[in-house]
Amino acid sequence: MADKEEKEVIKSAKDIVNQLAVIIKTAHFHDPGNVAVVTAIDRFVALANSLIASEGTLVLELIGEFFYVNGTRIKYSLEYLLNFDFLGREFKKRELGSIIFRNAIKPADIQAFLKAFIASAFSQNPFETLTENLADVDCLIIGKPKKLKEEGEFDVRRMVKKTYFNAASYTKGIMNRIKSGEKVSIKKAKRVVESMVDLILEEEELLLGMTAIKGHDEYTYYHSVNVSILSVALGQRLGLSRKSLTELGLVALFHDMGKIEIPDEILNKPTNFTEDEWRLIRRHPFWGVRAILRLKGLDATAIRSAIVAFEHHMHYDFSGYPKVRRPSELDFYSKIVSLADQYDAMTSSRVYSRIPMSPDKALSIMMERTGTQLDPLLFTFFINMVGVFPIGTLVILDTKELGLVYKSNSLFPDRPRVLVIIDSKGSRVEGYVVDLTEKDAGGKYLRTILKTMDPNKYKINLAEYLL
Amino acid sequence: METAEDIKAAKEIIHAILRTKKNLRMYPENNPIYARTIGDTYTRFRSFFNYRDELNLKINQNDILYDSEQIYYNPGKDDNLAFFFFKDGLREITFKNGLSETEIEEFLKILSLDFDREFVDDDIVTLLWERDFQNIRYVVDEAFLAEDEDYETEAVREIKEKAPDADELLKAYDDAFKADEVKGVSIVPLTDDHLHSLARELERDVYDKTDKLVEILFEMLYQAESAGDYEDALNFLEGAIEFSIRHGNMETASSIMKRATGLINDPSLPDNVKRQMRLLFSFPSSGEMIKLLGELLDSVEIDEKVFDEYVRFLDKNAIPPFITILGELKSINARKNVINALTFLGGKDIRALASGLQDSRWYVVRNIIYILRKIGDKKAEEYLLKAVRHSDVRVRKEVIKTLGELGNRGVLQTLKDCLEDPESQVRISAARALSNIAPEVAKRIILEKVSGKNFMDRDLDEKKEFYEILSQWKDGDVVDFLMRTLKKKSFFRGAVNDENRACAAYCLGLMGNKDALPVLYELRDSKNELLREYAYTAIKRIEYGR
Repeated sequence: MADKEEKEVIKSAKDIVNQLAVIIKTAHFHDPGNVAVVTAIDRFVALANSLIASEGTLVLELIGEFFYVNGTRIKYSLEYLLNFDFLGREFKKRELGSIIFRNAIKPADIQAFLKAFIASAFSQNPFETLTENLADVDCLIIGKPKKLKEEGEFDVRRMVKKTYFNAASYTKGIMNRIKSGEKVSIKKAKRVVESMVDLILEEEELLLGMTAIKGHDEYTYYHSVNVSILSVALGQRLGLSRKSLTELGLVALFHDMGKIEIPDEILNKPTNFTEDEWRLIRRHPFWGVRAILRLKGLDATAIRSAIVAFEHHMHYDFSGYPKVRRPSELDFYSKIVSLADQYDAMTSSRVYSRIPMSPDKALSIMMERTGTQLDPLLFTFFINMVGVFPIGTLVILDTKELGLVYKSNSLFPDRPRVLVIIDSKGSRVEGYVVDLTEKDAGGKYLRTILKTMDPNKYKINLAEYLL
Repeated sequence: METAEDIKAAKEIIHAILRTKKNLRMYPENNPIYARTIGDTYTRFRSFFNYRDELNLKINQNDILYDSEQIYYNPGKDDNLAFFFFKDGLREITFKNGLSETEIEEFLKILSLDFDREFVDDDIVTLLWERDFQNIRYVVDEAFLAEDEDYETEAVREIKEKAPDADELLKAYDDAFKADEVKGVSIVPLTDDHLHSLARELERDVYDKTDKLVEILFEMLYQAESAGDYEDALNFLEGAIEFSIRHGNMETASSIMKRATGLINDPSLPDNVKRQMRLLFSFPSSGEMIKLLGELLDSVEIDEKVFDEYVRFLDKNAIPPFITILGELKSINARKNVINALTFLGGKDIRALASGLQDSRWYVVRNIIYILRKIGDKKAEEYLLKAVRHSDVRVRKEVIKTLGELGNRGVLQTLKDCLEDPESQVRISAARALSNIAPEVAKRIILEKVSGKNFMDRDLDEKKEFYEILSQWKDGDVVDFLMRTLKKKSFFRGAVNDENRACAAYCLGLMGNKDALPVLYELRDSKNELLREYAYTAIKRIEYGR
């Protein structure tokens, strides 16, 4: 297929997904016969039939967080972000994974689909209801979501672990070599970040889960990797392209490069810093610029990395450090990295008064800092990403089970998946995962979070279960 | 198991790839061989996919396998396609049916890059990753990314060692019931307003970040605590200047110099720093930077004002490299800009500029003479006089013109000598130059020349030019001479004599001399066509001021 044609098909695939969201949204407020719904359906039919004519069939799938049309992943773009998000939620609510349009479709087919789709939302078994109601619509076949981990969750986890520790190992290596004045290449850094970007796009929860593992001996390196992962994950939510995500990941990985100049005995000091030590700490943004620019001279990535290394402690209102003569608005990446940096630092030991916070506590403090230290808009996206109960939060359930938040749920932010470590009888267990969206026959939730606790106080973290 | 035919087709593809990799490096994109080679490779793929869905290649260090059959082998390191892929961790490449010509072209372009050069910052895997091909898949071994093979095992062991013991877990469980009720952070659902704000933020983010970095570098300079800090900041500023010029951003380069100028005048700045800062000022004038500037000027249209502003910050060291690039630039605008730069800089060091008169390229010498004329500094004469004997007539003409405009009487003898130059254009220029510098002397010399026997044999055009020069003196000597010439009859060489008469008529016409009219009327009926025509034109000029 010629390149131009290919781009047009991808654009039309994007429009189709978007238009399906528009139809469903419109149908939530209007009767199916309403002119707004009818017009939206007509447009969808025209778009879909045009693709069916050229491709023979139209297969729309939701795999993980992404839509695929005829096997090609439809990339997020800002203009469609909300509609894609909405449609994804509606699919998940109904356990709907795919719709196959086999032949040319008519508006009546979509009217029928719409009625069935809306009706299924109120059913106990939405997918089955939907299938039943669509029995007469010949041109449509629906399917349940494909399981991402079909090829073996174990392999995926192994890959995630490998990528994470490769990144930490690489960061340690590069920092040590810079420290000893050796020449380093950033080709490897790009490869490390590309792997992380791929995993964020495919296995976001697992990689984010790795950032929740605390208690590494080599905080500085893990912190750099965690900030990179959190930044890329946020960047992905903001609709950045793969290439931009790599740049953001690199920039974030190098944000603390200036710390190589700070003696280890200060960085690893068990007590609070003296004024002189703080003075040194406050110099690290300058040293970061120096280390980055010495690394490979000037190019677009080095410039951006230097800017972020300099600005990541400046704060949204410039109340942080370093103080400058002519402050200008913080770079977009600096604002992202500041958020990721604060979150990871607060939920780790050794910085910020040396007392690590629970993830939910860190989020609530960060919320108080929006508009002063942190960008309020980006924080809104950030909290939507990590959820009310971020991964690693220690929770007690109304069933008297104690567990750690294992996987967040974008549809129901207060109903994540929880890894139970003490059962309702107070006995330690190996760890089983419960889904807080599960209901009993009467439609009542089986489990609800009652309280959150500080996992660090009891040295509890996900490490034991994820690794 | 694939057939022998499949294997043969796969081998042909590998050969086509190898050939293309070579050709793409050798020929520019506009060369027909370039496009043809890509087309041939694409055709090989197409014919392979006529009967197959994909081409899966396994990569080893020295060989490439297709369905466990070796289809490529090279034990050496040079031009080893297998090793070329292998060294960056590529272990498998799969081309899928549906591969477009654009995809294959992009893929081949990646392969043809010279990865050994410093500025290729990405390895092959990164470049493939960035392109995100729909129909080219690959498998990578990332083991080499880890600095330490045992890192993961060691890290996991350490983390697990810190796992809580049962007592701590049970304590947590007990405490859980005493903890406060959950006060989760409320999630603000994303709305269209958030998205619009984000879109605006992303739009604002598309700006050149160099200015921001420059701001930071100056801040580093202000807040430097040691000589090393100053040196670093200044080195980075040099880097920023170079980066800006390389990317056609002359405004930023100028703004750096402007700010540095302000800073160097700051009395609070230590003297040793000022000394270091002076090095920053000489950096843009270095040969390397001027060469870079030349490449920029030749590749894009630069706003003249922006360029001129940048040049204000250069010093006289920029003159020799500017002269060098002047002869190398391809675009007229680029040369024009460099001439303007040299006109500005040359005023600071005429001698350095005049060294360009020794250049082996005549057009460079002519440009330097032109620049010296524009500068108008009389000191240039001493150098210009040496160029009067230049082997190229265009140079001699330019230098004489310049000497004339500079107006120094000291060059009169040289100019007089030039009236004997073998080239008429040079003689004409010399006559004009003489008349510029010393009109009275020039009048005498020119009258002498045009009265001379040899002058009769010169081309009509040269004669006409000399008479035209004479027309600026409307006094008796000249008029008498012209009238005599006009009336002069000659039996021998009548046609040549009539040419002289025609030129005299032309000159009198230019002077608007009414006394010449009676003779001119008579000449309207001359048998000589040229004389008739010139007399007629002269009459018109005199009568109607035309």
